[in-house]
Amino acid sequence: MLLFDHVSKSFGDLRAVDDLSFELEAGEVFGLLGPNGAGKTTAINMAVGLLEPDEGVVRFAGETFDRDPREAENRQALGLAPQSIALYEEISSADNLRFFGRLHGLKGPDLEERVSACLDFADLTDVRKKSVSKYSGGMKRRLNLAVAIVHDPDLVLLDEPTVGVDPQSRNAIFDRVEQLRDDGKQIVYTTHYMEEAQRLCDRVAIMDRGRLMALDTVRALIEAHGGPGKLAVQTGDKESIHDTTDPLGTLAQLQERETVEHFQYRPPDLETVFLNLTGRALRD
Amino acid sequence: MSKIVAMAAKDIRILFRDKLGFFFTVFFPLMMAIFFGAMFANLSRGPANIPVALVDEDRTAGSERFVTRLEAAGGLELEQLPREQALEQVRRGQTAVMVTLSPGFGAAMDNPFQTTPRVELAVDPTQFAAAGMTRGILLEVAGAELQALMTDSARIQATNDRNRRLIEQFTPPSAARDDFLTFIELSSRVSTLVEQLGLDGNATGAVAGGFGPPLEIGQTEVQAEQRGPTNSYASSFPQAMLWVLIGGSVSFSMSIAIERSRGTLMRLLVSPITTRHLLAAKGLACLTTTLVTSTALITLGVTVFGVKPTSYPLLALALLCASICFCGIMMALSVIGKTEQAAAGVGWGLALPFSMLGGGMVPLFLMPEWMQLLGNISPMKWTLVAYEGAIWRGFTLTEMLAPCAVLVGIGVVAFAIGARNLRWHTG
Ligand SMILES: Nc1ncnc2c1ncn2[C@@H]1O[C@H](COP(=O)(O)OP(=O)(O)O)[C@@H](O)[C@H]1O
Ligand SMILES: [Mg+2]
Repeated sequence: MLLFDHVSKSFGDLRAVDDLSFELEAGEVFGLLGPNGAGKTTAINMAVGLLEPDEGVVRFAGETFDRDPREAENRQALGLAPQSIALYEEISSADNLRFFGRLHGLKGPDLEERVSACLDFADLTDVRKKSVSKYSGGMKRRLNLAVAIVHDPDLVLLDEPTVGVDPQSRNAIFDRVEQLRDDGKQIVYTTHYMEEAQRLCDRVAIMDRGRLMALDTVRALIEAHGGPGKLAVQTGDKESIHDTTDPLGTLAQLQERETVEHFQYRPPDLETVFLNLTGRALRD
Repeated sequence: MSKIVAMAAKDIRILFRDKLGFFFTVFFPLMMAIFFGAMFANLSRGPANIPVALVDEDRTAGSERFVTRLEAAGGLELEQLPREQALEQVRRGQTAVMVTLSPGFGAAMDNPFQTTPRVELAVDPTQFAAAGMTRGILLEVAGAELQALMTDSARIQATNDRNRRLIEQFTPPSAARDDFLTFIELSSRVSTLVEQLGLDGNATGAVAGGFGPPLEIGQTEVQAEQRGPTNSYASSFPQAMLWVLIGGSVSFSMSIAIERSRGTLMRLLVSPITTRHLLAAKGLACLTTTLVTSTALITLGVTVFGVKPTSYPLLALALLCASICFCGIMMALSVIGKTEQAAAGVGWGLALPFSMLGGGMVPLFLMPEWMQLLGNISPMKWTLVAYEGAIWRGFTLTEMLAPCAVLVGIGVVAFAIGARNLRWHTG
């Protein structure tokens, strides 16, 4: 569906995306995980034709990946929810959806059907006639997502869809992403939260400073780069932390020597993967 | 095409939701039209103020007495000038009428029995109303002068004595000569007879009227090179329509900047439409708004404020070309001003000096010559030339083509600059 082939993009001296290659597989949620400034948005912008790569090619759709997103008609099949909310605040959610639906060639009853489906999807049916400026942050986020799918695209690109959203709305957005996946959409999901990537994504590409550090399923990434888990043990008033790949064995060994009152095991996760790959923490 | 229309419709809708944009595109120009129209109406339409250049080539006591009486009569703003200068003023449209008192005028005034006194008028043909009023005032003053002559016993006695001497000297005695001498004798007693009959001044006037018109008035036409509009609203409405364009172009350049900073421009560019369609839609929205608002404004001017365009087809042409110009400028502005505030700042920052130069604040025909020359670089000036050409200058199609070509040229170049440099992000 989407192919990046040795793609690079620079802004002046800064190499925002550096030799990025990947290929989406059918029906998957593809994660782009990396800290701020890793080049995720730049990659997305090239995928949707907003930016032209300096080197390499971006293609999507078709068996042979021959469609260039820089050409207008090829963009009919994709929907983008930009990182920052992009809506006409002066008009209602229904009118926003209607307008973007028309831009994608919808009209008449088809348009109205899609508009109400999307209002439903975003849980905004009750406030469909209110102007967007009166909405809460969470409502705007949901509409920002709904506008991306009003024309029922095959490929949906979500650029950090949960930024600045409270935990409840965040869960609502996770539900919607899962719903889209179940509807058979291909999804590219960028985030700097490893829990989101871990929960939602089938495969994750870890990016840092424009470069692709690793790309695989979450489980395979952890196996390959996660290293040992952390076992925290409390004996008496003493606490100790042990790195281990076999928590039960380590715990048994410890119990032979002293009485363990409490223990906690934290298995390796994408955070540890990132740390091991880059030597830095994912979060600033 | 339907996508372009959808985008343009959305823009217009948002503009009319935006109170400030609406204000600058619709209300502000309307207020300008009415305010300046009313202001200049009061300045230039005072009923007692027909500017008249007076050329006294007689320079006798009689002509001077007439001038004094004319000044006292009111209704005219007299300025005594030499002939050439007076003529020049009429040509320039600075003076409505030129009145000439030729040599011999004073003598004729003193002796209306010999020759009827005569004045010469030179007027711009469009100033027929001012000419008519001037004629009326001249006749009135001449009548009063004659009346004064009839009631001034000493003066009429002197005139009669001189006339009698002339007749006795040059005419051989006859019945007709005797009759005429009796008539002269009697006429010197008119005032005494009027007094004895107990009649009032009107009767004396009637007697004086018996001598025929007190003044002969000759009139020649002088074509003014540049005349002002006949109705002050005819000059304030073109200016207001210019402000529609300025307000519209700044509002729409801001709308592009707003779309850029809000991210919706990015959304538009990601949808399956080309940049060309997007630009066409912006241009269409701007053009539709300025055309509709301008048309509404001039319709109001015609129906309520008595503006009478000399040519409606040329006015339509001028409207279209000026709208094209300013919608092109709108595109260029939206590239210079990346953010909403910057677009507004750049827009208004350029609009004010350029419209000052172009006559958007003070009517062009009231500005000094050097400023009118400098104004040639201002698209506002060409807009006004085109609008005024169609509204009161009575342009022909050929005369209209020059400003229209300049306007379309500026519009196309500016649009191209804007379109080439359009960016979806602020960085
Ligand atoms: N339009 C631009 N001009 C200059 N630098 C940019 C531009 N867009 C992004 N960058 C830079 O490129 C790098 C990658 O940015 P971005 O793709 O937005 O990262 P992410 O989305 O992963 O946070 C950053 O250092 C950012 O400052
Ligand atoms: Mg980003």
